[in-house]
Amino acid sequence: MSILKKSFTRRRSLALTATAVAVALAATGCGGDSGSSAPTLPGDAGLGGDGVVAQSVYDAAPVATDADIPAGSTMDAIRKRGYLNIGGSLDAPLLAQQNPVSGTIEGFDADMAKLLAKYIIGKPEVKTTTIGTQTREAMLQAKSVDAVFQTYTITPQRATQVAFAGPYLTSGLAVGVRKDDTSIKSVKDLAGKTVIVGANTPAVTALPSAAPGSKQIAFGTDPQALQALLQKRGDAYVQDFTLLASGAKANPGMKVVGEPFTTEAYGIGLNREDTQFKEFVNNWLKKIQADGTWAKVWEGTLGSVVEGGAPTPPALGSADGS
Amino acid sequence: MEALTAHLSALGHGLVTTVELTVVATVGAMLLGIIVATLRIAPVPLLRAIGTTYVEVFQNLPLLALLVLFVFALPTIGITFPLFTSAVIVIAVYEGAYLAEAIRAGINTVGVGQAEAARAIGLTFGQSLRHVILPQGLRAVIQPIGNICIALLMNTSLAAAVGVVELTQAANNVNLVEAQPIAVFTGAGLAYMLLALIIGQVTGLLERRLAIVR
Repeated sequence: MSILKKSFTRRRSLALTATAVAVALAATGCGGDSGSSAPTLPGDAGLGGDGVVAQSVYDAAPVATDADIPAGSTMDAIRKRGYLNIGGSLDAPLLAQQNPVSGTIEGFDADMAKLLAKYIIGKPEVKTTTIGTQTREAMLQAKSVDAVFQTYTITPQRATQVAFAGPYLTSGLAVGVRKDDTSIKSVKDLAGKTVIVGANTPAVTALPSAAPGSKQIAFGTDPQALQALLQKRGDAYVQDFTLLASGAKANPGMKVVGEPFTTEAYGIGLNREDTQFKEFVNNWLKKIQADGTWAKVWEGTLGSVVEGGAPTPPALGSADGS
Repeated sequence: MEALTAHLSALGHGLVTTVELTVVATVGAMLLGIIVATLRIAPVPLLRAIGTTYVEVFQNLPLLALLVLFVFALPTIGITFPLFTSAVIVIAVYEGAYLAEAIRAGINTVGVGQAEAARAIGLTFGQSLRHVILPQGLRAVIQPIGNICIALLMNTSLAAAVGVVELTQAANNVNLVEAQPIAVFTGAGLAYMLLALIIGQVTGLLERRLAIVR
């Protein structure tokens, strides 16, 4: 022990420490609970639908014929392996969110991945590797994953690194504000304001041209960004409009204003050299769009917060870079 | 390489923020470290308990959890700090616990005779600490303190998670446009390495100048 103090029994000091730590932990624990305002689980009353696609949709989904899968192709390797290895998220509400109770991953992206697995293997076996948006290109180039389903916006710059099948979904950025805010009515009113964005989302690059002079602060996850908006760290939250719509349903303190001001075309990220696999995935997209599976998945997931029925699926190859 | 050179100003701003975070948080952590190390060797049992509790709490909670709690939980009880200030406070408090332990180790290298001699010539606790114990104790642990400063530098990248645009977040933003993760993050990694090397060199210099050869 120290050289400046008198004797001090070890047992007593340990007991004191333990008590103090317990008290401190209890205190921080409470702070954490009150910090997040009533998190809504997917499938809770916060959403209109149940946010889950019915089993019958999987059962009716198409399966590729043996003629579609030549020996030695990527599809053949996936079929032999028995599962599809995808890169995605576990924390994107309505798109790919792991249900903390059942452990399954639910949402539009997750279901599309399961349907592709069903098409190749015959059963919806997917292994999801959670990847950051920073590493998608590197993971695809290294073939660490077969495909990326992660609201992967198709851009010409990215298309020099990876191949995009699709687009399989289009969406757009919209503006969310606090309920009592009447000064912001559209993205034009954001000039000079502090705007919250999701880190590594299209909003980071779209905002400087859509609202010149706005100041950005970026948060890692959607719940954090929502919390920051409600705690007045910024005047508005710019995010994909489906995410904002689900956020507004779960949080009475916020609302979505104006129409989406961009068009984002999301593609399925694939290895750039593997043109055979890209063609195969595009053929599969054509099939599920034609037979109505695509619309059923949309209605089961994103359709639970967006009014009106399923939109027309985007035309394949319609985005610059796909 | 183009991915880096086309965005030098964005990356440069990030680098400056990282350096600011590191410098301010290091100063804060040093002050806290000295105070807490002093508490841990104080003759009053209550003060020792406070020092021990501080170290055990902040050494045993992950920095990211502390940052998220500080940024998102405090506003619910009406306390809101700007994001940069929040990051500085949390990193300083967290690294202060590690520095306190390093400084305490340094104090324990000072011979008991030194403290007894200081008391014998009539110095108070504070005086003996200031003039006898700390000057010798700190010189013994310059290297460990330097290592903690490097760890602090690396930990500033976690501030990206709570909205501070430092070097890591700037690299993320550039990568979002360029989709060149290997080039962009290698560049950011080299910048961190350079900063760490500078801290290492300064530490080495201080050690050669100040360490007591025993």
